[in-house]
Amino acid sequence: MTILEVNNLTKIYKDKKETKALDNISFSINKNEIVGLLGPNGAGKTTTIKCICNLILPNSGKIFIKGVDAVKNSSFALTNVSSVLEGNRNIYWRMTVKENLKFFAGLQGVNKKKSVPYIEELIDFFNLKEKINTQARFLSRGMQQKLAVGCAFVRDTEILLLDEPTLGLDVETTHEMRGLIKKKAKDEDKTILLSSHNMKLIEDVCEKVIIITKGRIVVMDDITNIKNLFAIKSFVFDIAGDLAETNKKEMEKKFNVSKCIANGYSTTIQIEMKETVEIYNIMDFFKSKNFDILRFETQQPDLEEIYLKIVKKDEIH
Amino acid sequence: MKYIELFKTIFYKEYIDWVRYAFNTVMHLIAFYIIFLVFFLGLNFAMAGNPKFGSAVEGLIVGFFIWNYVSFAYMTLSWKIVDEARAGTLEQLYMNPFGFEWISIFIVLSDFILELIFVIPMLFLMMVTSGHYLNIDLITILPLIFLTIAAAYGLGFIMGGLGLIYKKIQSVGMILQFIFIGFIAAPIDKIPLLKLLPFSLGTRLISSNMRENIPIFQMDGIDLFTLLINSAFYFAAGFLIFKFCEKKAKEKGLLGHY
Repeated sequence: MTILEVNNLTKIYKDKKETKALDNISFSINKNEIVGLLGPNGAGKTTTIKCICNLILPNSGKIFIKGVDAVKNSSFALTNVSSVLEGNRNIYWRMTVKENLKFFAGLQGVNKKKSVPYIEELIDFFNLKEKINTQARFLSRGMQQKLAVGCAFVRDTEILLLDEPTLGLDVETTHEMRGLIKKKAKDEDKTILLSSHNMKLIEDVCEKVIIITKGRIVVMDDITNIKNLFAIKSFVFDIAGDLAETNKKEMEKKFNVSKCIANGYSTTIQIEMKETVEIYNIMDFFKSKNFDILRFETQQPDLEEIYLKIVKKDEIH
Repeated sequence: MKYIELFKTIFYKEYIDWVRYAFNTVMHLIAFYIIFLVFFLGLNFAMAGNPKFGSAVEGLIVGFFIWNYVSFAYMTLSWKIVDEARAGTLEQLYMNPFGFEWISIFIVLSDFILELIFVIPMLFLMMVTSGHYLNIDLITILPLIFLTIAAAYGLGFIMGGLGLIYKKIQSVGMILQFIFIGFIAAPIDKIPLLKLLPFSLGTRLISSNMRENIPIFQMDGIDLFTLLINSAFYFAAGFLIFKFCEKKAKEKGLLGHY
């Protein structure tokens, strides 16, 4: 069931010169889906999220939340949407952890019977119990970010828009945050649109990904499909000893060799293939040359490599 | 019921702000008191032995009391909007099912109550310092102050709205605060048209209660009605200008900028 639908959204900023931040973008998100929003700086990720939150008015296009026009009926939209927009800047630094959570629950009009135990649960869940009465300004960056995400959860909306929730966090805290968001989203059947530059976060948490550059959507699909679509069938071999120059030249002539590095006792060869059946020809060639295969593995590109390929390709066009 | 809960939530947040930024508030009050002392001592020096000295001091106390409240109200609201935008929390305040209109009205109401806690003791301090004690009839004063301050909130909304678009407006805001003295001291008895200025008629009516013991039900009905219209106009105009600026800020994507 579609819970969030964006149709032909266009946003043009008119300053000294016109900038098209969003160029006719359309996508939809189903209930309980976690979708990643990827793109370089200035691609239009934050503008998309802020348009959904009714914080930026689009020039044209429609946004529907549960089938209701979100721009015309912002009250309904904001009953169903909460967000973390700028991480630790979204919370009140002079208020304590508990005061912040209480305030955002109250701001959303969440029933006290529901919010009081939920606040306790969130404090436990985000490991903030020891800092419950500490003002946010005295928390570490990681704790502030966790509190900001907690403040979005405490609003108890079905849809969460998380814009760079791990920005500026160290590896350990990013890893912790990744697990927390994933678990909480699953436990509470949340629908999440997650924008990030952190590919590992997107790859680990999201099922679907939207890649956006220059205000246009260039790819939108399941992460597995994207990986399959962009999978470069490549194989890596370690061959005993050095390769004779003639053998090397013959091999490069016959196959698409992307890497051939001698490292003393062995030679590492990487071959890219259009079709996997080419492996038989390679094996036949290796056999004919009496190559001693020490190691053999397939190479699968990760989301980061795919993303870079897509963005670079789009920049060329 | 949900709106009462929302008011309680906003009031609690505003209360925490006042407490956690207590140093600012205390410094603000001290500055006001020093300015009052300067005026009072100046008046003492200039009017020593003059039979109208007592009346002038009473006028000074009422004027300062209203200026103090008006400045608090105006500055708190306009700076709050700009500060929230700068801090990154304004967008979060916008994201609620009630609408920012209700949030801002509840902020205004909360601040009106909280400001009273600071302004009333200051009034007593001024009376003790000068040795001139005025009539404090809360039933008359509170509604009149509420109407007078409503205009200050209207002007606060205008500055807050401009702040959303132009950001650094504090210096203009500070200057306006001193222009308010002119509004408060406007000679409306000589030029009745000056009643249209913000605060001028409110000050006159509050003064007539505090200095001449005239209760609200004995005041001129036309004056009270004019004050009501005047306050409603400035508040509504300020709010509409704020909404216009807010729309512009949303079009330009400036709501979260600082």
